[in-house]
Amino acid sequence: MADYAHGFTIDAQRCAGRLACMRACPTQAIRVKSGKARLRPELCIDCGLCLRVCPSGAIRATTRSYSDLDRFKYKVAVPSPVLFGQFPSEITPGHIAAGLRGIGFDAVWDFGVEVVLAGMAIRDYVESWKGPYPLISISCPVVVRLVQVLYPDMIGQLIPIQPPRELAGRELKRRYSEELGIDPAEIAAVYITPCQAKTISILQPAEGAASNLEGALGISDVYNDILTLIRAPGKGQEHAAPDDFVCNAETLRWCIDQGQGRVLPHHRRMTVTGLSNVIQVFDDIEKGKLRNIEYLECDACWGGCISGNLTVDNVYVTLSKIRHLLAQSPDPRPQMEAEVQRRYPNEVFSLEGRVTPRVVEEPMRGLKERVKRIKTGKTVVKTLPGLDCGLCGAPTCQAFAKDVAAGTARQGECVFFSSKRLKHLRRTYLRGEKRRPNREP
Amino acid sequence: MAEELMRETYEIHGRDFDKAGETATGIKQVLKGIGVDSGVIHRTVVIAFEAEMNVVMYADEGTITFVMTDEDIRLEIADKGPGIEDVEMALTEGFSTATDKMREMGFGFGMGLPNIRKNADEFNLVSEVGVGTTVSAAVRLDPDG
Repeated sequence: MADYAHGFTIDAQRCAGRLACMRACPTQAIRVKSGKARLRPELCIDCGLCLRVCPSGAIRATTRSYSDLDRFKYKVAVPSPVLFGQFPSEITPGHIAAGLRGIGFDAVWDFGVEVVLAGMAIRDYVESWKGPYPLISISCPVVVRLVQVLYPDMIGQLIPIQPPRELAGRELKRRYSEELGIDPAEIAAVYITPCQAKTISILQPAEGAASNLEGALGISDVYNDILTLIRAPGKGQEHAAPDDFVCNAETLRWCIDQGQGRVLPHHRRMTVTGLSNVIQVFDDIEKGKLRNIEYLECDACWGGCISGNLTVDNVYVTLSKIRHLLAQSPDPRPQMEAEVQRRYPNEVFSLEGRVTPRVVEEPMRGLKERVKRIKTGKTVVKTLPGLDCGLCGAPTCQAFAKDVAAGTARQGECVFFSSKRLKHLRRTYLRGEKRRPNREP
Repeated sequence: MAEELMRETYEIHGRDFDKAGETATGIKQVLKGIGVDSGVIHRTVVIAFEAEMNVVMYADEGTITFVMTDEDIRLEIADKGPGIEDVEMALTEGFSTATDKMREMGFGFGMGLPNIRKNADEFNLVSEVGVGTTVSAAVRLDPDG
């Protein structure tokens, strides 16, 4: 089975086995054994829900650190527009860009042009599509992984157009290597990300091709450093001088206003945010509903990327700030329009690789064996209490029955079947009990 | 003779649009769990879904029997309903007796039975007006077999 990199790590020392992550996981990728959470990486879709709910702070997002990027000669920050909605209102995108330079970036890239280009590519794709519907945007990496793991039949409905951040990575390397006369391999394009899922989509793209970005830093990783730089400038000034960086209205609108759907004003479209809502809608699609929606945009985070798990400010405050910024942003300048017209016919926007279903079950012997497993699972689940208490270390009785049938759990791990199990749990979870060697019964 | 590995029967309630599609989804989950070829799953689910919708739209009650053998997947959908007056017509693409309300919900475009026949390796339809309809379909596990 392929080795899956993930956007976070579970610190076994800190993990107190309190089951919150296991219960929150939408793909049932976590089991708790001997009081420690364990991940089944092939099922993980990097949604980060576990990270939000962990009461022990044992799950942490892995992003790059500044030092990882030192080997590059020229470093370009590609900020998600969400970044600009995180700071106090007197701090402009120009200040923030200056702050990004201050922490070590050589340039800051606004991807307004790429937002428009990706939008046009999506529009053309949707207009030439013959069905089945709905087509689904791949802007959110969690949604792509959700389809790979739980809805493989819908993979053909993903729109294989590169998101703006990837197009930006490609273009900025071309541009700066030309302007500065350096090897593109010496240029790092670094996404300033609102979530760890984008990090993983860069380190290990779902389509198996290489990303055009070298890595990502979380907004929460850079926020304090930027703020400190802006707030503590040389004498006499209130704030550090802003950069001449301008955040395009297209870029800002992209993260708050139904994403790319605006390019399809005459199509039936739908925007769904929040992973549980997305799952509900995908279940409906699987049941044959929503066939007349042509374009579906889904974000795993409720309210969209502005509530990503590496953001700093409250989602509503962020939304308000971005709307305010948008009202002040200049309309697209004619140069931008010209740039779009110049690039659109000359670039390829489709994904370089193909998104394929993820193999989640290890290859098993024959058909008979596999059917037997399913039947065993169905028999086992009937014997279980159906309380989904989670004390066996699986999120539901159904999941536990499947584990038993697959041989990765034993029925005795259910407290209703074994008093030893209860003793084991008491020793694992009750503080004050004498420490004794504690093996899983 | 093919060996039967698994058999399950699900009930379908007529006019229950809210739950429509759930049996097909259930069958899909079982097949996914077994790890059947995704093309075979797709065809089986289309058949189950269209048949289920027919029962929901036209009949009072019905059952779907799902049988898995070591060679194929067999579905038998039997309902107590109005029956089909002209079977030839019903198998023609685009022919439908659906009401406007059904069409509003995105169904009734006359693709149901033709779609079932198209996706099945074996297909059989028996119907008696005023009594009910039974559709049998089979999808081979080995697409080349």
